[in-house]
Amino acid sequence: MIRHSIRHIIRKEFSDVLRDGRFRWCSVLVGALLLVSLGHGWVQAREAQREHAAAQATARDHWESQGEKNPHSAAHYGIYAFKPRLALSFVDEGVDPYTGTSVWLEAHRQNDFLLRPAQDATSAQRIGALTAAQVLQHLVPLLIILLTFGALAGERERGTLRQLLSTGVGRRDLALGKALGIAGALALLLVPAAAVGAAALVVGSPGPAASPVARAAVLAVVYLVYFAAFLALSLAVSAWARSTRTVLVILLGVWVVNGLVAPRVAVDLSKWMHPTPSALEFARTVEREMASGTEDIPRPDNDALTEDLLTEYGVERVEDLPINQSGVLLQASEEFGDRIFDRNYGALWDTFERQGAVHELVAVAAPLLAVRALSMGLAGTDVEQHRHFASAAETYRRDLMRRMNGDLTENSRSGDFSYQAGAELWESTPPLRYDAPTLGWVLGNRILSLVVLGGWLAGTILIAAARVRRAEVT
Amino acid sequence: MQTADSGAGRPPLLEARGLSKRYGATQALDSLDLAIEPGEVYCLLGPNGAGKTTTINLFLGFVSPSGGQALVSGMDVSTHDRETKHRLAYIPEQVMLYRNLSGLENLEYFAALGGKGSLGRERLADILVEAGLERDAVDRRVSEYSKGMRQKVGIAIAMAKEADALLLDEPTSGLDPKASNEFSALIERLRHGGVAVLMATHDLFRAKETGTRVGIMRYGSLVTELGTDEIGHADLERVYLEHMHD
Repeated sequence: MIRHSIRHIIRKEFSDVLRDGRFRWCSVLVGALLLVSLGHGWVQAREAQREHAAAQATARDHWESQGEKNPHSAAHYGIYAFKPRLALSFVDEGVDPYTGTSVWLEAHRQNDFLLRPAQDATSAQRIGALTAAQVLQHLVPLLIILLTFGALAGERERGTLRQLLSTGVGRRDLALGKALGIAGALALLLVPAAAVGAAALVVGSPGPAASPVARAAVLAVVYLVYFAAFLALSLAVSAWARSTRTVLVILLGVWVVNGLVAPRVAVDLSKWMHPTPSALEFARTVEREMASGTEDIPRPDNDALTEDLLTEYGVERVEDLPINQSGVLLQASEEFGDRIFDRNYGALWDTFERQGAVHELVAVAAPLLAVRALSMGLAGTDVEQHRHFASAAETYRRDLMRRMNGDLTENSRSGDFSYQAGAELWESTPPLRYDAPTLGWVLGNRILSLVVLGGWLAGTILIAAARVRRAEVT
Repeated sequence: MQTADSGAGRPPLLEARGLSKRYGATQALDSLDLAIEPGEVYCLLGPNGAGKTTTINLFLGFVSPSGGQALVSGMDVSTHDRETKHRLAYIPEQVMLYRNLSGLENLEYFAALGGKGSLGRERLADILVEAGLERDAVDRRVSEYSKGMRQKVGIAIAMAKEADALLLDEPTSGLDPKASNEFSALIERLRHGGVAVLMATHDLFRAKETGTRVGIMRYGSLVTELGTDEIGHADLERVYLEHMHD
């Protein structure tokens, strides 16, 4: 039950904020950017999803109608797989512009993802790509600072704090009333944006389900916690510092560190702690290991394999084998390649995840990093979910190759280069069916960020309570 | 000097018991003892730094005492912040208000925070007029007010609160003689209504006119206390100057 006096403070703070021309202009600007970025993101995500679906259908059609050919030729012909855009990807496009969203699945190779907008973007385009997540992560906290920095320091500077406290209203009630009043004014900006986002989700979800409502609800809570932490921090500084100018300088410093310095530091620190090879180095390593194998993953011994086959089938010559030896050797080669890929890509992904953990740890100093990790995770655009899809696509590729090599092995004889499979084989190969991870899986990957963000909220509230209790009156 | 539980067995409305405040090496207030009963106007006289404002800040709970107690109706301010503040009204040297609000809107807000939110706008407007504000100024923004007009809003805030005790910190400083006289008349009216008043002031004349007792402070200590009935203007000035030159 909110005390009577707090209600009066909330009402006054709320109307003061609304009367303030700075708030009106800032909120119009932030609100417009938020709505535009939401709309733009939704249209873009929807368009991308539509194009992906069309391209996926075309790729499947090409696969099924490739005509009669040797199954190994079909394996080289390959097929494209497209990472689906999840419903909330219009809020936060995450790492998708950098990792790509489609991959060509072919024999002998685990290819890199394609369609990376960042690859083609100019520097200016990269700066200008504004998403709803960026508005929520950077501009709303700035607006909170502008609304809150004078909350207590301003009252003290004007001399009204003495008058206020002499009425019998407690310092905590005053701070709470101001916080809720400012939150109410912010709600005028955020609730319509949230409603537009929810409508976009309901009316025309751009991607597959993957519990979009639950993800959206958790995403909303994450951002509310982030904003509440900023509000509490701003109040704490406003209660502590002697002048509004000092408060503003400190809070703008916090904003710069949180939004600009810490992310850069996190990137450099994580790269320094867990270096990754360049794309060229990585490709050369894989190529070298594929060519000659490694100590623990030797290239398959074709002679030994052939000997084993002859023994298994009790024949003297390859020509007498009831199967096609080439199919077995090709599959052995695939499985050798798979081990090389597993080791190299696995190490690379693990390094990316360790870098991500460093980012989440740096969030202890900058809550943006925790919010960003959670936002991308819930939008389905983080590195982990990219890996999740990449793994599914690779599993599919391996199954496809097994089918092609199996058909070649079973339905032709060694030395028979004229064998051709047809539409029946291509159509019997199921399309890639991808189930996006559950909300529990996503949150399980982001426990550190959840804890850090919760810690930020609890910490800032405790600091604000302590600072407000000891706030100087004059 | 009166002590606690005087009168009809009730504690004084305002009471200091060995009240002290130290800021680092500076002793701002040193073992102050005083008691103010309903209907009394106690004027604290003294130069800047004598401890007058510190005394008022201690009664308001704006600062914590280094020793002793500030009591309001027998309740310690340190442990009963909310209860004691509801019995107090405060008018500072310069009443600071919200410039973007009218005098009436300011009064509405402060009255509501003081627990008088049920007073209607008309009643509050009447209180402003009773406090000396012109009727047509009530709805004007405070940014257009003179210092005297702001003081009158401050008085109206105190009146609307219907507090048992009034703390005044140089309330007539900077007011013209007419406004000062009106202020004195108002204090007199409140006193007759049973309000206890503690007023810090430099103004010997106003202290003699308005007060029932006068305490002279120096270096944080109460050096003497006089009843205003016992002494004339000239004598008060003489006693004051004697203590200042000791």
